[in-house]
Amino acid sequence: MKRATRRDILKYGAATGLATGLTGLPGLSRAQEKLKVGTVFVSPLSEIGWTKQHSLGVEAIKNEMGDAVEITTIDNIYLPQDAERVFRELASTGHQLIFGTSFSHGTPMQKVAPRFPEVAFEHCSGIKHLNNLGTFEAKYYEGTYVAGITAGHVTKTGKIGFVGGFPIPDIVGPGNALLLGAQSVNPDITCNVIFLNSWFDPGKEKEAVKTLVAQGCDVICSMTDTPTGVQVAGENDAWSIGYASDMSQFGNGKHLTAFTLNWAPVYVDAAKRVAAGTWETSERWLGLKDDVVKLSPYNPDLPAEVVAAADQAQADISAGTLHPYAGELKDQSGAVRAEAGSRLSDGDIRGMNWFVQGMIGNLG
Amino acid sequence: MLFKIEPRAEPSRQMAIAAPLIATAMTLVVSTIFFVSLGLNPFVTLYTFFVQPLTTMNGVSEWLLKASPLILIACGLSIGFRANVWNIGAEGQLIMGAILATGVGLFSPWQESALLLPLMVVAGMAGGAAWAAIPAFLRARMNTNEILVTLMLSYVAALILSYLVHGPWRDPAGFNFPQTALLPYSGTFEVFDYSYRLNTSIFFTVVAVFLTWLFTNRSFMGYKMAVGGVAPAAARFAGFKSSVSVWLGLLVSGAAAGLAGMMEVAGPLGQLSSQISPGYGFAAIIVAFIGRLNAFGIVLGGLLLSLLYLGGETVQLNMGLPSSVALIFQGLLLFFLLASNFLVNFRIRRLVTRTH
Repeated sequence: MKRATRRDILKYGAATGLATGLTGLPGLSRAQEKLKVGTVFVSPLSEIGWTKQHSLGVEAIKNEMGDAVEITTIDNIYLPQDAERVFRELASTGHQLIFGTSFSHGTPMQKVAPRFPEVAFEHCSGIKHLNNLGTFEAKYYEGTYVAGITAGHVTKTGKIGFVGGFPIPDIVGPGNALLLGAQSVNPDITCNVIFLNSWFDPGKEKEAVKTLVAQGCDVICSMTDTPTGVQVAGENDAWSIGYASDMSQFGNGKHLTAFTLNWAPVYVDAAKRVAAGTWETSERWLGLKDDVVKLSPYNPDLPAEVVAAADQAQADISAGTLHPYAGELKDQSGAVRAEAGSRLSDGDIRGMNWFVQGMIGNLG
Repeated sequence: MLFKIEPRAEPSRQMAIAAPLIATAMTLVVSTIFFVSLGLNPFVTLYTFFVQPLTTMNGVSEWLLKASPLILIACGLSIGFRANVWNIGAEGQLIMGAILATGVGLFSPWQESALLLPLMVVAGMAGGAAWAAIPAFLRARMNTNEILVTLMLSYVAALILSYLVHGPWRDPAGFNFPQTALLPYSGTFEVFDYSYRLNTSIFFTVVAVFLTWLFTNRSFMGYKMAVGGVAPAAARFAGFKSSVSVWLGLLVSGAAAGLAGMMEVAGPLGQLSSQISPGYGFAAIIVAFIGRLNAFGIVLGGLLLSLLYLGGETVQLNMGLPSSVALIFQGLLLFFLLASNFLVNFRIRRLVTRTH
């Protein structure tokens, strides 16, 4: 292999690129026996959190299918203009199944997918489908509702704090359900909300949590891609609720529970279908019942009756006898959004852009 | 042993040539140690970083697509920097340009017209220039520090963008997500080939490079601004007004950044979302200094930085390295390059201390 220096590249880079471009892509002509799977992560891959849970899904494919698959991953791809390039690159280098793992990958995937009709695209937290672009999403609100019940029991100030990455329905909805869970214990509980406008900004998140604690919140739930919320809550002697992964190791003994995401069934299923040639685009929305949303082990300091109440709610939600968004549901202004005896429709849940009564804060 | 850093009377010609070589050598040595300590083959890694991204047509297209805004913004910045006008807020001017251009693209009555794109170009440049006019006014009239004002206004611009995409400009059919509707077809740049993303907006960058060269090397105004930067007292004595430099430096760099923002929206993005720039406005400052504020040097600097981005992705995709390793390597290279450039204008002399 030729040893290349930077100056060489600057001089000959363009020429080489043009020349090899014309001779075609090396590697594509090779017959494919293995299933090539590409995965794009939105944040830096770390030990814990949203991106880690997706990487566990990818590992599950590897464990299940072994040498029959070859896996490529890339992390820290957030902006649409970068994401589109990476999806193109994966699709044009023989990957037959490509996962996008963030809402912000949506527009780039919608642009790339039609150009590669033989490639299967799977988009987590996406909404728009195409013939070769499927979507999957978790019912986070089922997890936050159950976690909210534990929060409702432990709070002394009657105030919980919620930190969200972006004010999108996938975050606003679970924030609402967290409070609704807590209010099922005590209807007077309120919830202060701060949005970071970033999935990964530990500095800003730390300030947000400190602000919430200063406002009197003694339970903190943070829906971002870091364990910062749990950590800072623990440092300030506040209870915390983890998101995506079990974050008890960061909680200073104050981690109540976490609503964790187990994507393994989704990843393995998609890979097997592509390998068997039976993959079709579909929309999946999975929750406690499907084992995609789970509650991590409860804090040992929680009284047995609180754990029992949370477990009961979990069982009832799985069985369909309890719905977190059951009426009567009022918004911040007091207007009724769901009548007593009914519940919000699925469409209303997926597009939720309003806060329930008791939420303190703005969308934006 | 003591050392002293002292300015050279004149920039060293030998150093001007030697600096990039020193930087390359240092990068190769340190990165080899770095890669070997991670258990990687340094030759394969460097090849994957610098050559692999450019071995396909798509790679070359992406390389130029990413370099184009960096070069355009850096060209604008260099005009102010030469006159000691420090516009650190190109990121904000880029955002304002993108906002104004998108506003015209989405809400003007000429949705189908061939004039839509030219109007968006004008709007983009006007948006960037207007945002830069605020610090220009404050500096020229009240002697406010433009470094602080331009930087702070970047955050203001980012918040305005966030407000628009979360609020009034949010796509009504977009399931409530923070982005605008897609721009109409007549409001986007044509791509050269439908398999690739490189589009015709790159001609603006080519023109900007030549204009920058003409202005800085062949115009009297460029000369006056450079004198004002190097020797403000001499410039005043010669009757050159410093406020002209301030206005020109900021308005030109603002317009260039605004145009770059417009090119991103009307090119690879197609819509506004809550974050539209991967830090082009800040990276362009590095590009301007790698290029030593010279138009053609900036082209090389922009191509290098763009390649660093692509190489960082390629080592992730092909070798499974985490993004942080790529970032450390990029940091190493830029550090050595900028540090050795310092030796062009300064020298390090050993002080002889006498001991009795």
